[in-house]
Amino acid sequence: MAAAKRSPKSETILSARGIVNRFGTQVVHENVSLDVLRGEIFGIAGGSGSGKSVLLKTLIGLRQPNAGKVLLDGKAIEAIGPAERASLIGVLFQQGALYSSLSVAQNIMLPIREYTDLPPADQERIAAMKLELAGMAAETGIKFPAQLSGGMIKRAAFARALALDPQILFLDEPTSDLDPLTASGIDAMIGQLNQSLGVTVVVVTHDLTTLFTLCDRVGVLVDGKITIDTLDKLLRSDHPWIHDFLHGPRAQGALTARKQSHGNG
Amino acid sequence: MQRASSQPPSLVLAISESGDRLTLKGALTIRTLAEAEKSLQAGWKQRKSRALDLGELDSLDTPGALLLCALRSHDVELTRIRPEHKALLDLVCGLELKPLPKPPYIPRWRELIIQLGKAADEAWQDMLDIITFVGRVASAIVHAFLHPRELRLPSISRQVSETGINALPIVGLLAVMIAVVIAYQGVAQLRPYGGEDLTIDLVAVSVLREMGVLITAIMVAGRSGSAFTAEIGVMKSREEIDALKVMGLDPMAMLVVPRVIGIVITLPLLTFYADIMGLLGGALIGKALLGVTPTQYFEHARHAVDGSDFFVGLFKAPIFAFVIGVIGCMHGLRVSGSAESVGRETTRSVVKAIFLVIVLDALFSILFEKLGL
Repeated sequence: MAAAKRSPKSETILSARGIVNRFGTQVVHENVSLDVLRGEIFGIAGGSGSGKSVLLKTLIGLRQPNAGKVLLDGKAIEAIGPAERASLIGVLFQQGALYSSLSVAQNIMLPIREYTDLPPADQERIAAMKLELAGMAAETGIKFPAQLSGGMIKRAAFARALALDPQILFLDEPTSDLDPLTASGIDAMIGQLNQSLGVTVVVVTHDLTTLFTLCDRVGVLVDGKITIDTLDKLLRSDHPWIHDFLHGPRAQGALTARKQSHGNG
Repeated sequence: MQRASSQPPSLVLAISESGDRLTLKGALTIRTLAEAEKSLQAGWKQRKSRALDLGELDSLDTPGALLLCALRSHDVELTRIRPEHKALLDLVCGLELKPLPKPPYIPRWRELIIQLGKAADEAWQDMLDIITFVGRVASAIVHAFLHPRELRLPSISRQVSETGINALPIVGLLAVMIAVVIAYQGVAQLRPYGGEDLTIDLVAVSVLREMGVLITAIMVAGRSGSAFTAEIGVMKSREEIDALKVMGLDPMAMLVVPRVIGIVITLPLLTFYADIMGLLGGALIGKALLGVTPTQYFEHARHAVDGSDFFVGLFKAPIFAFVIGVIGCMHGLRVSGSAESVGRETTRSVVKAIFLVIVLDALFSILFEKLGL
């Protein structure tokens, strides 16, 4: 990915201010703030149970935080109507969350059918194009989610997340449960779509390769707080957990991949 | 793709002064696509020129780009493409677009016949499965009794408590309700003949012989049969059954036998309880409708029923229980992988268990009639 080549972005598309999330007495997030810039790939990392998914749910408006607010395109997320929200954000859920009673193409056409009055032929053309964009053959369209492999489910869910051409894509663990080759393919696709469609991407992951090769900036969640910086600076961080996280035995491969992808950029 | 404004995006098709060029202004997005196609078609009817100016297009998304690519391939010249739109156009035009395949068309009459055949085959396979499974369960139960150490008493007692004790309130309430329903019908139908006293006989006999056991069995099939399927099904889908097998433990002995034994113990007890509640319900309604005191009611009922009514009802309970338990566990073990399969099998198990209970009940009615019981 030519992530390093991209020009610096300045306009904020999504910002969270002072997010506090609590479950009973357990505090998951204390005063988390972040800004995502238009067109960038923003990574959210952290250990298991550090509240990555809760933060994602808060950012997309599925969870009302105990305190703080989320602004999407300058507006409070809960004040944005469902139709507008659907055209602003697309979400790739961890397990795909494809509707099992619908075929892949019908999954993609569902939001298109609900929010536009395009004739069925046009809807199908658009669905076929989204499948192509997500790197799937149009023939896959008539298959049902139960007939797809793990990587295909991610791609199909990706195509559905792109259905209404959202401005910001939220990806929850896009490479989890995938073999390394398929995972690299998904990483490449994310980078490509970010470049060509200009779509902003927020990716929640603990896949170091995704973080190292793809993300412009990374927010690391530790002990309910977030540390946001470019990866180069995070690599030099002296916070013990972040240091261990980015320099552990598994980080070596990711670091090599980063050198490869950024070396020629 | 660029900005979503709070106003609905709009698109205008303008025709230039000289009248030889069409210009698109505004947003060409999925929301304006239908409108765009319509006005472009109308525009081209008037003009000869095949050029489209995109210089004043504010925003473009992938469906919009798809439309422009289709136009381009029909020899429409796209002029003044903005640089920020060029990348998107190149991407979309570069895709190898194939239409979605159509599912093969099958005539309605053939589909009906195929469905019929599939259903018949499924019913046949189902019957074989049930027979096989009944055999396996029976052999596992006999094995458990021959080797009492493998009889999992804590497990069985948990099942008895879950399928039995927790069902007491709902079964009792239902039995009372059923007695009330029968009593009302009896009084209404028998009054013209002056035989409303026979309502007492009607309630007592039908509750003891049929309704007590039937209502209890249906309730338990809905409550516990479905729970068996769901519990075992979830274990199956999470590979817990495979884990048991790898440890050399038999899922049949661990999961199925305690459940079946538990429900076979419970259902007769619940039926007995439902019988009592039904008679109490009859006494209650007898007081209200006929003005009979409970003492008179039970005195009358004692002469109306004999032991065989009571035992015929109770005799059926363990058989129904065995059917419900076996069907519930069988469908649980049939679950494959996905979560939706748990739901599907649970539905099937309940429907099949209730169906079989009622069919068996009808057969028993004929049998006891022939035997003169």
